Amino acid sequence: MVGDGAEQHADSPMRVVIRISRFLPKPERPRRHSNPFAKDDAKQEPAFPRRKRQRGKQWVQDYPMRVHPQDTILNCLLSIKRDSDPTLAFRYSCGHGMCGSDAVSINGTPTLLCTATVGEWAKTPVPLSSGNEFRHTGVTTGSVDASIPVTTSDAGPASPAGADESLAAPGNDDGGDAGPDRIIELAPLPGFPVQRDLIADIDPMLEQIKRMKPYLQAKGLLATKADGAVDVFEYLQRPEQLHRYELLSNCIACGVCEGSCPVYAGGEAFIGPAALIMSSRFINDSRDGATDQRLDDIRQADGIAACQSVRACSRHCPKGIDVGEEMWRLVERSGGAQG
Amino acid sequence: MLSACCARIDVMSPSQLEDYYDAVIVGAGAAGLSATLGLLRRWRNSSPEDAAVPKILVISKLQALRSHTGSAEGGIAASLGNIDKDDWHWHYYDTIKGGDWLVDQDAAHLLAELAPQTVIRLEHDGVAFSRTPDGHIAQRRFGGHTADFGKAPVKRAAFAADRIGHQILHSLWQQCVAYDVTFAEEWYVSDLILSESDAGKRANGVLAIDTHTGTVHAVNASNVVIATGGAGRLFSTTSNSWDLTGDGLSLALDAGLQIEDAEFIQFHPTGLAHTGILLSEAARAEGGVLRNADGEAFMQRYAPEHTDLAARDVVSRAIRSEVKSGRGVADPKEPDGPRDCVWLDMRSIDPDHLETALPQVCEIIRGYANLDPSRDLIPVKPTAHYTMGGIPVNTDGQVYSWSDGERHLIHGLYAAGECSCVSVHGANRLGGNSLLDACLFGTRAGESIARDLLARKDDTRNPDGQDIPRTPDAPAIDVERRKAKIEQLLHRPADDDGAAGPASQDGGLGSAVGGAEVRQGVSDNAYALMSDLGRLLERHIAVVCDRQGIAEAKAALDHGFTRRAAALRTHSDAAAYNQELTAILEAHRLLALAKAVVNAMSAREESRGSLKRLDFPERDDERFLAHSMTDTTGRISWQPVHIVDVPPRQREY
Ligand SMILES: Cc1cc2nc3c(=O)[nH]c(=O)nc-3n(C[C@H](O)[C@H](O)[C@H](O)COP(=O)(O)OP(=O)(O)OC[C@H]3O[C@@H](n4cnc5c(N)ncnc54)[C@H](O)[C@@H]3O)c2cc1C
Ligand code: SF4
Ligand code: FES
Repeated sequence: MVGDGAEQHADSPMRVVIRISRFLPKPERPRRHSNPFAKDDAKQEPAFPRRKRQRGKQWVQDYPMRVHPQDTILNCLLSIKRDSDPTLAFRYSCGHGMCGSDAVSINGTPTLLCTATVGEWAKTPVPLSSGNEFRHTGVTTGSVDASIPVTTSDAGPASPAGADESLAAPGNDDGGDAGPDRIIELAPLPGFPVQRDLIADIDPMLEQIKRMKPYLQAKGLLATKADGAVDVFEYLQRPEQLHRYELLSNCIACGVCEGSCPVYAGGEAFIGPAALIMSSRFINDSRDGATDQRLDDIRQADGIAACQSVRACSRHCPKGIDVGEEMWRLVERSGGAQG
Repeated sequence: MLSACCARIDVMSPSQLEDYYDAVIVGAGAAGLSATLGLLRRWRNSSPEDAAVPKILVISKLQALRSHTGSAEGGIAASLGNIDKDDWHWHYYDTIKGGDWLVDQDAAHLLAELAPQTVIRLEHDGVAFSRTPDGHIAQRRFGGHTADFGKAPVKRAAFAADRIGHQILHSLWQQCVAYDVTFAEEWYVSDLILSESDAGKRANGVLAIDTHTGTVHAVNASNVVIATGGAGRLFSTTSNSWDLTGDGLSLALDAGLQIEDAEFIQFHPTGLAHTGILLSEAARAEGGVLRNADGEAFMQRYAPEHTDLAARDVVSRAIRSEVKSGRGVADPKEPDGPRDCVWLDMRSIDPDHLETALPQVCEIIRGYANLDPSRDLIPVKPTAHYTMGGIPVNTDGQVYSWSDGERHLIHGLYAAGECSCVSVHGANRLGGNSLLDACLFGTRAGESIARDLLARKDDTRNPDGQDIPRTPDAPAIDVERRKAKIEQLLHRPADDDGAAGPASQDGGLGSAVGGAEVRQGVSDNAYALMSDLGRLLERHIAVVCDRQGIAEAKAALDHGFTRRAAALRTHSDAAAYNQELTAILEAHRLLALAKAVVNAMSAREESRGSLKRLDFPERDDERFLAHSMTDTTGRISWQPVHIVDVPPRQREY
């Protein structure tokens, strides 16, 4: 029995280029006499502040690496920070799909950095015109710890002085391996303003979630004995009642569904799938007594009618929630989409 | 860097930073959020509807929902007795024994007795606990939980599949939303400010950097709660998230306070091979068995009675000892790598049950090891998991310093959760007790602040009783010095361009540390330093240690690492979202803490709980039935353990 796991998973290192859309915000000028925390005049704010774009420098930077197919893309980025470019900014925390920090766009698809592996996402590049070919740079060693730094002429870590959208400048070609390196393209989560590199401002989503009163409003019924005395102090809930919302309660508010939604990310006024999932979690919780109010809120929420049932939101939910199906049920239950 | 105004609507940050707060809570995990709710609920229950609400700010370096509490898997301990007959006295006894008698028994008494009501409050707050067929909170077996004072295992850990932490974190956050609590998210607290007068020391507020802009703010407050979580990042193999750099403990040290029992760090026996990611103890509770390279279920030999569910330190050391005797296995991912793992065998668990009882565990194994737990053996290795020690607090969460054989309270300063030490975990924490500690003593800290504010509001010198008077005489915090320091970190000396410089040649990286590899292409940085520090401590003091290892670790910390840390500068001078700036501050924190840990370890010349000194293999109650109190001077003083009614005995499993 022992050792039967031993050979089958030895994955040999491969070469990839991690190509990252980077962004550095323009420093804001200090405004005298204004409290740094005061919101801008509320009346000047558009209804959907997330449409607002930060001003700053944008460029694309390539990081060639030699890594194992089984390595997560998060691990690759961490080794870039450690070994070649500490200025790269991206959110991360738990490293294993539980905290919901690190939703980004990988090859155009929103998903979590820490659950995405290199093998799964590295793609063969579409050939580009010769000036923009990737180079293979010097040192290669066997572990993810030893990534290969790239220094580009106009997009060095410290000062991305380069023009917008410039590709990293070509480097030397070591002529080592045959064929082009495979690529993984990273960009911030679609639908939210970028703040720096892969960090997007997801506050609008959290604000929308908060608007849906995302907390248990218990009916307050405790089990009592025949004589009226309180028997148990927890609200009783049978496993099949739990089952109706348990999966929904696993939502980690990562925003992958929102970034995948062509309506939401496309910029229409829309409360968004994450807030609706949160609402549904309580509607389906047998302990909650605010269902009518919640359905009302959904009816009145911004443009649930906007949901075109594209169901792109379901595809990459890291918790396996069928977001699209759930939304459809909500639309039906709240009495149609014409709030 | 003083670039100020954020043009975006900053909904999750304070729209208006007040010039003064009644309470600032640092940390938004189970402990910080419990303290917040404890304060608000106690206030609300004791004052009229229209009374002023205390001004509270919760500061967190992460967005609240990303806090590490969300990763806890297995369960929270409470003698609810929903499945097996249980009694809080048994929980009390198990806690003391688990902690190898370094537990303050008055605190453990509260922990065990108030556990059921704490869990029920969490249920009312919305936690989606798993249920028994008749609708009660379900409970499972955990290592060290016994009935009748050690006689038989008991199902005491209340669980929510294997996502108890996620459920607790989200439910508490949701309740804070209901109370409209103000959060300053992605703000990094860099300093704890105390002031001193004839009446003793008191908390005065904190300094925090808004990482969105890089702006440093003084946050004045009459009460501060430190709830910053653990310090797993002291070691390179850890179940803790990347941000657990022990900031709170180090903030206290830096403010001239002590930390208690810093030498006790729990290693969880089943980290997934070299990732460190935790496979919950529930995996063994549900029937998983540890096997060595010969296929032997070796825990039979080390702990005949409790076998695979013996206390964590016992199992971790057993794994170490198997590996040392040549019966370890290599991580299948690196077949030629070190044979420093053993197998976790879950193949005997019914596959359907495996998926329903341990969904998270299965997902982790598939995702990060590419193995199938119903068919494959899973490589596991001890992973740094929990910091038993912490900022010393009493059972109301109030921080104190220990001198002249007495506790001296720091007025207005509280700590809760993993960064605190009320001493219910002693030398080794019992599974399921830390969420309980964070929620229960977190709530008590909040309630204690509320009581204090209520008393001040009703004070005769406050005749209208409307507002809560500020603490008298708290000087305004001086931010300028700190601002200058941070400004300096953002600007490297002119002769170092920061990019692509072979800085390693100056000896900073390689030489002093011994074994740290020379990195190509970029000058030294905080990420590299923390990674090297983790490897250093892992090599010298993880799971077992001795005088020589301790001395080597200490020398490297005091010299190479100290020099490197002092030289750290960011590689970008843009202050907004400059994660490297935060990382430098974290590296400084981690290093200062590492020194304190190593000092405390060196002073404790015995083996107890999670601390195994090969040169002092026995427990020594005569000299060390006491809490170590360490400060930055390296001086250790000893505080006697509160023994109430469970006299020390041999701890056998
Ligand atoms: C994988 C894993 C599984 C576990 N399973 C269990 C279990 O089954 N049962 C159990 O009882 N316990 C378990 N534990 C332990 C338990 O989860 C933790 O001890 C507990 O969650 C700690 O809560 P906390 O509130 O103290 O800290 P955390 O949840 O870590 O929160 C710390 C907070 O402090 C903030 N912070 C930190 N530093 C700063 C700073 N400088 N400035 C501003 N903010 C800061 C962070 O942003 C965060 O919000 C587990 C731990 C791990 C690692
Ligand atoms: S529903 Fe899924 S994808 Fe959407 S926020 Fe929740 S966890 Fe993320
Ligand atoms: S880092 Fe926590 S979900 Fe990816």
